[in-house]
Amino acid sequence: MTRRILLLAGALALGAVAFSGDRFWLQFLGKAMIGCILAMSLDLLVGFTGLVSLAHSAFFGLAAYALAGVTNRLGLVNPLLTFPVCLLAAAAAALIIGWLSLRATGVYFIMVTLAFTQMLFYLFNDSPALGGSDGLYVSQRPVDSRAAAYVAIWAALVLAYLLLARILRAPYGRALEGIRGNEQRMRSLGYPTRRYKLVAFVIAGTLAGVAGYLDATLYGFVNPAQLGWRQSGLILVTVLLGGKGTLYGPALGALLLAFIEHYGERVTEHWNALIAALIIGVVLFLPRGLAGLVQGGRRA
Amino acid sequence: MSLSLFALQLINGVEYGLLLFLVASGLTLVFGVLGVLNFAHGSFYMLGAYLAWWLSERTGNLLLAILVGLPAMALIGLLVERLAISRLYLRDHLSQVLLTYGLVLLFNELQRALWGNEVHGVATPKSLSFTIPLGEAQTWPAWRAFTALCCIAVAVAMRQLILKTRFGMRVRAGASNAEMVEALGIDVRRVFSVVFSAGTALAGLAGMLAAPLTTVYPGMGESVLILSFVVVVIGGIGSIKGAFLGAMLVGIADTFGKVLLPGFASAIVYAVMAAVLLWRPRGLLGPAFEGR
Amino acid sequence: MPEPLLRTEALTRRFGALAALDEVSLEFEEGRVHAVIGPNGAGKSTFLNLLSGELRATQGRVRFRGLDVTRATPDELSRLGIGRSYQTANLFPELSCADCAWLAAQSRLPSSMRFLRPAERYAEVGDRAARALEVCGLSGRRPALAGQLSYGEQRQLEIAMMLATEPTLLLLDEPLAGLGHDEALRVVALLTEVARGRTVILVEHDMEAVFSISDTVTVLVDGRVLEKGSPDQVRNSAAVREAYLGEEIA
Repeated sequence: MTRRILLLAGALALGAVAFSGDRFWLQFLGKAMIGCILAMSLDLLVGFTGLVSLAHSAFFGLAAYALAGVTNRLGLVNPLLTFPVCLLAAAAAALIIGWLSLRATGVYFIMVTLAFTQMLFYLFNDSPALGGSDGLYVSQRPVDSRAAAYVAIWAALVLAYLLLARILRAPYGRALEGIRGNEQRMRSLGYPTRRYKLVAFVIAGTLAGVAGYLDATLYGFVNPAQLGWRQSGLILVTVLLGGKGTLYGPALGALLLAFIEHYGERVTEHWNALIAALIIGVVLFLPRGLAGLVQGGRRA
Repeated sequence: MSLSLFALQLINGVEYGLLLFLVASGLTLVFGVLGVLNFAHGSFYMLGAYLAWWLSERTGNLLLAILVGLPAMALIGLLVERLAISRLYLRDHLSQVLLTYGLVLLFNELQRALWGNEVHGVATPKSLSFTIPLGEAQTWPAWRAFTALCCIAVAVAMRQLILKTRFGMRVRAGASNAEMVEALGIDVRRVFSVVFSAGTALAGLAGMLAAPLTTVYPGMGESVLILSFVVVVIGGIGSIKGAFLGAMLVGIADTFGKVLLPGFASAIVYAVMAAVLLWRPRGLLGPAFEGR
Repeated sequence: MPEPLLRTEALTRRFGALAALDEVSLEFEEGRVHAVIGPNGAGKSTFLNLLSGELRATQGRVRFRGLDVTRATPDELSRLGIGRSYQTANLFPELSCADCAWLAAQSRLPSSMRFLRPAERYAEVGDRAARALEVCGLSGRRPALAGQLSYGEQRQLEIAMMLATEPTLLLLDEPLAGLGHDEALRVVALLTEVARGRTVILVEHDMEAVFSISDTVTVLVDGRVLEKGSPDQVRNSAAVREAYLGEEIA
C-alpha cells in the first residue's frame, strides 16, 4: 500500500514539473521518463516473460525515424496522424523480428535479437538517404512547446504503467509468469507458449515505439545511435538496476541512470568506466536491484 | 565480373571467413564449455590488435609482437575469468549479458586511456611484405596468405587437441556435463580457466593478424563481435565445425555483398542468418534438436 | 470391440543408431488403468515422451480416439485431453501451490489471451484449481512455495496440476519414485481415486503398486513389447521373469 502511495506521489511530482517552465528540467526529466517507458516495457519481456531481448532499441529508433520520415517526406505533422503510423511501424517490426527471433530459444534468442538490432543500425547508419551517421532533423515536431511534449510524455508514462499493470494481473500476465518459471511445463499444460511470447514481444516493441515517437518529439532529431546494441544494453541495465520483474523498479532504474549519466559526465571524462563499474557492481552484488532493496513483492 | 576478380573476391571471402572463424571459435568454445555468453569477446580482438601495434612499435617486428602478445592475451583471459567470468557460472542470461557488457565499456575506456582515440597503422613485417600474383591482373598480399595459413593451422591444431588428447576429452566432457566431470575428480574450474584463456587468445590472435589489414582503431571489436555472434548462431552453439561452416558462409556472403550490393552488404549477412534460423532454429550443426 | 482411446502403430524412436523404441504397437482401452513396466533402458520414458508430444517419433503413428496425433505438439495434446505428470517434480518453483494449480486450471479457458479482467475474477478457474488441490490433499498448503514443499508433497502437486487440466487420458511417469512406504501408499490411494472414470497409462517400477491398481500390464524390454496382459498373466509369465531376473544378475 505504501508503495502505491509513493508511486502516486512520484507521478504527481513529475507531473507538476510541467508547470515549472524550467527548460532544463523539462528536457532532462522528459528524457528520463522516456527511459522509464523503455525500461518498463522491456521488463515485460525480461522480468515477466523471461526473454532477454537486445532488440528493444530497434523499435525505439524505428518509430523515431518513422516520424522523421512521414513529417519530412510526406509533410504530415498532426500527431493524430503521425502517432498511429509510427506505432504501426514499430508494431509491425516487432511482429516480424519477434516471429523470427522466437524461433530461437535461450541464448540463441538473445544473439538473434542482437543481430537484428545491428542490422537496423547499419541500415540507417550506412544510408545517406536515411540520414546516415549524422541522423535527421524532424522538420516540424508534432507539438511545438517543450511543456506540451513533457505533458505528452508524462501521460504516456502513466498510461503505460497502468496498461502493463493491468495486463500483468490478467490471465495473460499469469501465463507469462508461468512461461518465465517453466516454459516446458506450460506447454505440457496446454499453453501454446510461443504465441504468448510473441504477443509480449509486440506489446513491448510497440511501447518502445511510443517512447521513440516521444523522443523524436522532444528533441526534433533522430540518429542511428538510438538503434544499436549499446542503447539496448543500457535499457537492460536500467531493468537490472531497478529490479526486474517489478515493473516500477526498472522505471526507478531509468531515473537513476539518467541522473548518473548526466552528472557523471561532469565529474569525469571517463564516466563510461563509472557506468561500467556500476553495472558490474549491480550484477555481482545487487542482483535484485533497487526494488530488491526495498523488499518489494514480485507483482506490480 | 571477370573470373580473376571472382577468384580474388572468393579468396578474400575465405580469408575473412578464416579470421571470423578464429574469433567465433573462441566464442563458441566458451559458450559451449562454460555456458557463458561473452560480449566482451570483441574487446579481446581489439586488445590483441592494440597490443600488436604497441609491441611492434617497440620491437620493430610484428611477428615478434605477436609471439609476445599471444601469451599476454592468454594471461589477460585468465585474469578476466578468475575475477569476473567465474562469478557467472550459475547465473541467468541477463546477468551474463550485463556483466560482459560492463566489461566491454570498461575495456573501451581502458583502451582510450592507454592509447587514445587515434587510428594507428601497423606495418607488415618486411619478410612478408611481398605480393603473390594470381592470374594476370590480380595479386594477393603475402600477409593475407600468412593470416589464412595461421588460421588453418589453428583450426587443425584445435581439432587435434579436442578430439585426440586427454585434455580435449575433459573439455568435451565439461561441455556436456560439468557436474559429472567434477564428481569424477577432474578439476572443472581449471578446464574452464584454460578454455576461457584459449578463447581470449584466439580472439587476440585474430586481432593481431588483422591489425595491418584493417588498421587499429577504437571500437574495432564491435562489428567483429556481432558478426561472430551471427556465425555462432548459424553454425550452432558449441560446435567448432559449425563455427567454421558459419564463418565461411558469412565471410563469403559479406565480401561478395560488399562488392555486388554496397548499400546492403551488412543486411545480406543478417538475411542469411534469418534464412538459416527458419530452417534450423539451432543452427546448422547445433545441439540435436529433439522433439519440439 | 470399441475403438481404443489410444493406439500406437509401429511406434519407433531412434537416437542415431539406437532404437530406444522399436515398432511398438499397443492399444489402450478407455476407462482402464494400463501399466507399462520393464527394466531400465527398456524405453518406458521414451514411450511416454512420445505420447505426450515431447519427443517426435522417427516412425509409426499415435492415434487418440482415432485421430492421428503423431505430430501434435505437447500443448495441442493437452488441449485434446491428455494430461501428464513427471517423474522429477516439474513445477513452478517460485510460485505458491495455489498459483501452480491456478496456472494448470487456467489452461482450460478457451484462451488465456485475456488482458483486461484481473485473473482472480475468473471464478471457474479458481474452483477448478481448488478442487484439484483438495483431491490431492494439498488444500492446507496453498500458500507454500512449490519449491519448498516436501518431496511427497511435490509429487502430490504434480498430480494436482495434471488433474486441474481435466484430462481424460492420464500419462503418469513413475509417480511413486523415491517415495517412502507411507507416502507411496497415500499416492497409490490418490491414484486409485483419480483413475475412476478416466484412462491411465502408468509407467512404474514399484511392482506391488502396479499389480494392485492396474487392469493391464505391458512389459517393454529393449524398446520392444515382450508381453501384454492382465497382472496375473504377466506375473506368471516365464519370459517376463527371465527378463527381470536377467536384469538383476547383471
